[in-house]
Amino acid sequence: MSRFVIAPLLAAVTTAVLTLALGRRPRIQRATSVAGAVAYVGTVSAAVWSVVLGPAAPGAAAYQVGGWPAPFGITLVLDGLSAFMLTIAAGVGAASILFSLRYVTAENQRVYYHPLFHMLLVGATGAFLTGDLFNLFVWFEVMLIVSYVFVAFYGTDHATAASFRYLVMNVFGSALMLVAVGGLYATTGTLNMADMARRLAAPDAYGIDPAPVVGLSALLLAVFALKAGLVPFQFWVPAAYTAAPAPITAMFAGVTKKVGIYAIVRLYFTVLAAASVPVDAPGLTAASPLGFLAPVLGAMGVASIVVGGFGAVGRDRLGAVFAYSSIGQVGFIAVPVAVAAAAPPAGTLRGVAIAAALVFALHHALAKGLLFLSAAAVEDATKTDRLADLGGFAGHSPVLSGAVFVGLLSLIGLPPLTGFFGKLLAFDAAVRGVASAPGPSSALALVALLLGAVLTILYATRVWVGGFWGRETTAVEVATVESGQVAVLVALAAAVVLVGVGFDPIYRFAETAAAAALDSEGYVDVVGLSGGDGA
Amino acid sequence: MSVALAVAVGGLFAVGTFLLLQRDLVRVVLGVAVVSQATFVYLIAMGGIDEGTGDLVPVLEVHGGGVPEVADPVVQALVLTAIVISLGTTALALVLSYRAYEENESMDVTEWKP
Repeated sequence: MSRFVIAPLLAAVTTAVLTLALGRRPRIQRATSVAGAVAYVGTVSAAVWSVVLGPAAPGAAAYQVGGWPAPFGITLVLDGLSAFMLTIAAGVGAASILFSLRYVTAENQRVYYHPLFHMLLVGATGAFLTGDLFNLFVWFEVMLIVSYVFVAFYGTDHATAASFRYLVMNVFGSALMLVAVGGLYATTGTLNMADMARRLAAPDAYGIDPAPVVGLSALLLAVFALKAGLVPFQFWVPAAYTAAPAPITAMFAGVTKKVGIYAIVRLYFTVLAAASVPVDAPGLTAASPLGFLAPVLGAMGVASIVVGGFGAVGRDRLGAVFAYSSIGQVGFIAVPVAVAAAAPPAGTLRGVAIAAALVFALHHALAKGLLFLSAAAVEDATKTDRLADLGGFAGHSPVLSGAVFVGLLSLIGLPPLTGFFGKLLAFDAAVRGVASAPGPSSALALVALLLGAVLTILYATRVWVGGFWGRETTAVEVATVESGQVAVLVALAAAVVLVGVGFDPIYRFAETAAAAALDSEGYVDVVGLSGGDGA
Repeated sequence: MSVALAVAVGGLFAVGTFLLLQRDLVRVVLGVAVVSQATFVYLIAMGGIDEGTGDLVPVLEVHGGGVPEVADPVVQALVLTAIVISLGTTALALVLSYRAYEENESMDVTEWKP
């Protein structure tokens, strides 16, 4: 059972090594890359089915790397939450690599594109699976170093500048993360997340003073928010998203950002939820790290929705509209997480709100992946992505435009698409948050969601009317759409529709994931801390 | 000893942050390196640097204190890993800064296009 846990990681690492070794044989390299992506999807499915979803599944499993017992070795844990995120990563990864084959030119695909792509998957997979705080830092770095290269991939002035800024910002973020990890180690005497949760739940029994935990976790929150692109850490998003190759942008939006969200949920709800530490900051008093998270993440989420929404409405390029929209959508994921943090630990609201955030994350990965890839296909065909130069694409290429239409409607949140359920559950969580704790902050969250929904309708309409309706412009008249790209887009659009139509099992999966995120004791049991005298 | 380390960490962070905020590309890269060094010193300090007894080492204190007079091995493993990662990142930052200079034709970050 536990071997399934490490299988996706091995599949991705092996593919990265193989594709690097095959750099001189482009055709074989590409075939290996696709085979590796298929193997990744296969191992993720096998692991998720046998550990979490299947009839005889235990619900969670741990793998001790190198046979070193926890808490001394590195533990990989696959539970509901990790399984949900891995499933998203596998879906977006497979679509991106297939699209890359038909989109990135053969010269650009040679040598480094495929190994780097799979290393990006390795970093994300490791971050989703690891049960060790320092190891999480290492996986972040794996993912980031690849991201720097991808942002600079085309080597233009815009791309190198964006990559350099992205690098400097993230190096500072990594320094903060090391400070927080070192501080948590000094405070709790462990790096293993399960061990840390156990110690923080009973600080007196283990003789630790948990007072610094809130401040240190605040540093981690800043780092994770930087990865997720939440306001006020959103500056890198538009430049990096427009500079990277489009399939990689789909990966950034669908997978890398979700790593930040995942880390916030995992750290605060699984590891720190049991700690009770009085927080007394100016304008903020609380009894636990979650009480600190709720207002701070709520404010970040609200600000992201506003900044992203207004930013997207004002852009005049497809890629930039979707990049800003991505900032706003992450706000839609952050607000339910904040509602969950504010909810009382005993009630059902916490689980409902986390599930809402996860469903929205899935919706965002699918719809935004579809839209980023569509924008790339349009730009590939017309050589421009300025809304002013586009127009009448719906008449010119109905299939591609249909896929975009599905993506935009899902973004707006029309039933029966995935986005409908994402928005419905996010609003449901916010309304319940107002009911459970009436006050200006919970009401503000609800108002921000409403404003965000209106802004989404505005910019989605603007994209559709400006780029796809109306008279064909000269750029569109001569455009030839690549059918391989369209096939991937149609598959993604079908996924957006199918996930929405067959939503019940997806929601049960999200509920399982939310329950796993909140079940600290179950997490500790699965890791099985057998090393040392703490057993 | 802890005071000296605290001053060293604080000083390195201050210098690193100052360099990161400069407009000159090379100074920014130096800032990247200095900030990373600051975190390494900090990490080592987190293991307890006073002369070794078991109760100063977090991992030994809570997992059996039967090993006296030893420095904390965990932070050393951490710092080694972090140094390797930082080496890679700094090297990439150097290459990228040269390339960005070539493309943008300026060492002044504020003169680059947004």
